[in-house]
Amino acid sequence: MIDLNKYNNNVKPTWCPGCGNFGIHMAIKKALSELDVEPNKAFMSFDIGCNGNGADKININAFKGLHGRSIPLAIGAKLANRQLTVIADIGDGGVLHEGIEHLIHAIRSNYDITILIHNNQNFALTTGQATATTQEDKQMYGLPDGRPEREINISKLALDNNATFVARTYSGDVLQMTDILKKAINHKGCSVVEIMQYCPTYNKEASPQWFQEHIEKLENTFDTIEEGIKSTNMEKKIYTGIFFEETTIPTFYENLENRKDISTELVDEVKSRDIKKFLEKFK
Amino acid sequence: MAQKLNRLSIRFVGESGQGINTLGELASKALKNSNYYTFAYREYPSLIKGGVASYQIDISSTPINSSSKFCDILISLDEDAFEYYIQTANDNSVAIYDDKQIEENTKITTLLRKKNIKGAYIPTVELAKKAEGTPIMANMVLLGVLWNILGLEINSLEELVRETFKNKNIDLDAEVRCIEEGKNGTWGLEIENIPNPSEQELKENKIITGNEAIALGLISGGLRAYYAYPMTPATSILKYLGNTYKDTGILIKQAESEITAAQMVLGSMHAGTRSATATSGGGFDLMTESISCAGITETPFLVILAQRAGAGTGVPTWTGAGDLTAAVNAGHGEFPRCVISVSDPKSAYTLTQEALNIAEKYQLPVVLLTEKQIAESLYSIKDLPEPIEIDRGKISDIETPYKITEDGISPRPIPSKVNNPFLKSSDEHTEDGVSTEISEEILKMTEKRKKKLETLKKEIPEPKIYGKKDANQVFVGWGSVKTPVIDCIEDCNLDIAYLHYEYIYPLKTEFFKQLIEKGKEIILIENNETGELGKLLSESTGYEFSKKLLKSDGRPIFIEDILEFLNP
Repeated sequence: MIDLNKYNNNVKPTWCPGCGNFGIHMAIKKALSELDVEPNKAFMSFDIGCNGNGADKININAFKGLHGRSIPLAIGAKLANRQLTVIADIGDGGVLHEGIEHLIHAIRSNYDITILIHNNQNFALTTGQATATTQEDKQMYGLPDGRPEREINISKLALDNNATFVARTYSGDVLQMTDILKKAINHKGCSVVEIMQYCPTYNKEASPQWFQEHIEKLENTFDTIEEGIKSTNMEKKIYTGIFFEETTIPTFYENLENRKDISTELVDEVKSRDIKKFLEKFK
Repeated sequence: MAQKLNRLSIRFVGESGQGINTLGELASKALKNSNYYTFAYREYPSLIKGGVASYQIDISSTPINSSSKFCDILISLDEDAFEYYIQTANDNSVAIYDDKQIEENTKITTLLRKKNIKGAYIPTVELAKKAEGTPIMANMVLLGVLWNILGLEINSLEELVRETFKNKNIDLDAEVRCIEEGKNGTWGLEIENIPNPSEQELKENKIITGNEAIALGLISGGLRAYYAYPMTPATSILKYLGNTYKDTGILIKQAESEITAAQMVLGSMHAGTRSATATSGGGFDLMTESISCAGITETPFLVILAQRAGAGTGVPTWTGAGDLTAAVNAGHGEFPRCVISVSDPKSAYTLTQEALNIAEKYQLPVVLLTEKQIAESLYSIKDLPEPIEIDRGKISDIETPYKITEDGISPRPIPSKVNNPFLKSSDEHTEDGVSTEISEEILKMTEKRKKKLETLKKEIPEPKIYGKKDANQVFVGWGSVKTPVIDCIEDCNLDIAYLHYEYIYPLKTEFFKQLIEKGKEIILIENNETGELGKLLSESTGYEFSKKLLKSDGRPIFIEDILEFLNP
């Protein structure tokens, strides 16, 4: 186990008091420390939003990129160097709006990365606009009569697309988050972790007390994806835990025929290559 | 035509999907093996079957890298194609076709008479059958007829056909008998002014497209990951890298969108390998936010922008050079970048490697421009230039990604290769990558990036001068216009010079200013509507172009376009 302090830096947090991001960062650090991942061997890509403002609040390799794009950037880094533990950090706004193609295709391609989705049910950094997870009819910024569309259920979306690892957890439960994150990171393939995140400023209704009343922890992981999908429903209860894990599907990289006999990483292979034998074929 | 060109132009035309490309590629190589210099240019519609397509091969006894507007031998597989392309046939040329109905088309027959074109119906399918071949071998009969017209021995053609189809389940002897059937017939299709083959032995020459040369440049330059979304005319880079991936070990990913491809390039480059993507105008537009991100995060980035004609979806399979302004201005905010343009396979090979070096050395986005004309035309080259040495710049052993330096270039840490982790950020940041909104810190960082651009400007070369250096008339251009201008100068011994821009941004203007000072007659030549390089030069130097040869109809600059401009 690595000293937790190694993941800390002296950048002052800018989140609201009580923000779920405090707990989430604690769980990320704990998971990495318990898995013995040195800060220097981890890489996180960050989205724009309150979660993205965490990019400089953790002492690991990080890249704060564009809104909705942390998934493909993380994939590019992971493919280049599989020795890195790669986590794409993104909010419900970024992943379900501009970045939804990336989520679906990351699941389909089964890249060996972990996708952490902070679901606080609104665009908080831009002061509380509706996202695709905001409840239908809820009054939001610029929507005095409530949001007119239905919601997207993140865990269900991931399972519907045959993700090989899908879990839901809650920002107020650091221990469960840590446990799930460790399993997600260890999962060989694309793991999707939906974190129900408390937002004390723009989603006060879903208070810690409300979460406590509604959350029910799953005892076991389901055997079939169909059973997992049924439990993603949030109408009455919010189930947390690992909905489903499938370990037999190869990752994208493992399926690349031309990389099967190569053990080195792309980052260690940059050198000039002789093209004479290629050129001969143009005669 | 004022000057008689030392070249002959052969045009295969037909319906798209009829095998025009196979015919054209075979003929190009066989003509090269008969010691002709060749240049092959394709026109085809944006559909899979139907519509008219052309494969034009210009041949000469001296090197050529451009097309003529008109053809001397038209070989047609389809009536509609014949009707369209007969308009591009020279007077006194010859036209052959395998469809007897053409002789009942009065529009065609009138034109044949008017231009004094010798037309001949070749019953290719019957001749193929007579030679005990299959109907699909009818195209071989046509090649035989072409060899008859040109008075060439069929050895080179026979050898190539046997080599090309050896692993396919085809009766090669029958193929050769079909060629002989065409070659040995009496067609009465003599044509004057057939150039002699070169005295050089050209069999070892390579027939290569610009995109293939770019792909080879990427392989040479140590590329390890290629991410792209299909878009004409960039797609054939994906094809070449995909088909060679077992030999190169390059990771190939056809991404779900251009944005994904661009972001994957950023991720891989940031992690410390060499990566690239290619697209055309529409896809490039989607990548612009990522380009801006590469600019401020100082992440090496390479996109090959293969231009085609028009805005929107434009004229997708036709050529143009109307995306220079887009390349120079792509992305919001102000940040350093480099824009380079290739002009033929040799420059494509070299500049692709330079582009990878510049992206890494200066940690910025590089846009490498090409055009459909360069991307898909077939050039005959003896060899590619020597490879460029890989220069990855200042790879650092400290974790400060944005350290302020004299030349604006910060030593670059690679994740997990330095002792401690580090942060890169698309937010304005401190030297450590921490987000900042403090005035002094913002200015420190913007100033650093500006300095980096100045350093780059000092290190990239001025444009190249071709032709007669002391000539009074000087063309100024970039991209595919280079080869027709040089062919004009050499073929017609014109007393003109040509200033060619490879490195376009940051813009070097010393050589250009010298031309102005010497009072030269400067002519802007570009394959676009508004003269985009001209606008950049005007903005930098205040010079206003009064003479411009601009063309934006989806066609490349043909050699006659230049001659007609000079002698209207």
